[in-house]
Amino acid sequence: MAANPMTQFEVYRIGPEIKIGAFDISFTNASLFMVISSLAILIIFNFGAKKNTVLPNKIQLLAELSFTFVSKMISDTAGSKAKPYFSFIFSLFMFVLFCNMFGMIPYTFTVTSHIIVTFILAAFIFVGVTVIGFIKHGFGYLKLFVPSGVPIILLPLIVIIEIISYLSRPISLSVRLFANMMAGHTMMKVFGGFVISLGVVGGWLPLSFSVALTGLEILVAFLQAYVFAILTCIYLNDALNLHH
Amino acid sequence: MSKDQFKTRLEIAKKKVSKRNLDKKKDNQSSIGTAFKLSTELISAVAVGTIIGFILDKTFGTKPWLILIFFFIGVIAGITNVIRSAKNMQK
Repeated sequence: MAANPMTQFEVYRIGPEIKIGAFDISFTNASLFMVISSLAILIIFNFGAKKNTVLPNKIQLLAELSFTFVSKMISDTAGSKAKPYFSFIFSLFMFVLFCNMFGMIPYTFTVTSHIIVTFILAAFIFVGVTVIGFIKHGFGYLKLFVPSGVPIILLPLIVIIEIISYLSRPISLSVRLFANMMAGHTMMKVFGGFVISLGVVGGWLPLSFSVALTGLEILVAFLQAYVFAILTCIYLNDALNLHH
Repeated sequence: MSKDQFKTRLEIAKKKVSKRNLDKKKDNQSSIGTAFKLSTELISAVAVGTIIGFILDKTFGTKPWLILIFFFIGVIAGITNVIRSAKNMQK
């Protein structure tokens, strides 16, 4: 086992090096696990939707449960206007959840523990939500930055503050997911290393910690996917129903 | 099992599930998630403010004043963010 707990986050190339211009787009272990999680989602939902029996089998139950879970989440937070964006939020939630969960299997790679992955997801959401807001409300969307009932003298300062807090959304969204995943996996590796180095005599305490941490990490993996999706819903709600 | 029997059992099961969901809703938001949400909101606003200040400083050549000003504006924005989301949680 590697002594350094950070080696689990190393990205390395699988197969030949592919370069387009200055960009290295070779297939890495990160891309491998993204493909695996997407394939797993596709397979589960294909099998789940194949036979529509009244009493569902296990895979169908899984598919239906996640479907109703996400649809309820969207209608609770963003209202009925957000229905057209169901497929996007559903696939986002499933992708993040599966990436997190695949990372829980030993010897796998956690895609979401890299800030660039989560940041690209968050930036995509941010740009999309902003574009939706401008399409729905035109330039009236800028009212989001001007809260009502503020004295004129304070207005420039408030507008700058609102803009900064709006721009901080993708960063807080991406940092949250990335930091949770990375901290959890590092901690698990560190405690695993303690088990090895303390041996049979003293290794039992860190081993029990490792078991507890694994449970906690599975909870965190689900929770972070949920938080990611629900915050997307909240931002979408801001863009669709403008009230500030 | 007859069809009616199945229906009543389904009703009972549904009621149980909805009741359980209601109970869950109260402590649904795990405290780790909430704590992390608040802290990242505070930090990211400060980071964004500082980055904006840095960029403006570079373009106008007014080092180090704008970065200082925007750092504090970022802190204010972060605190308003935290207050806002804390208010949302209490709803």
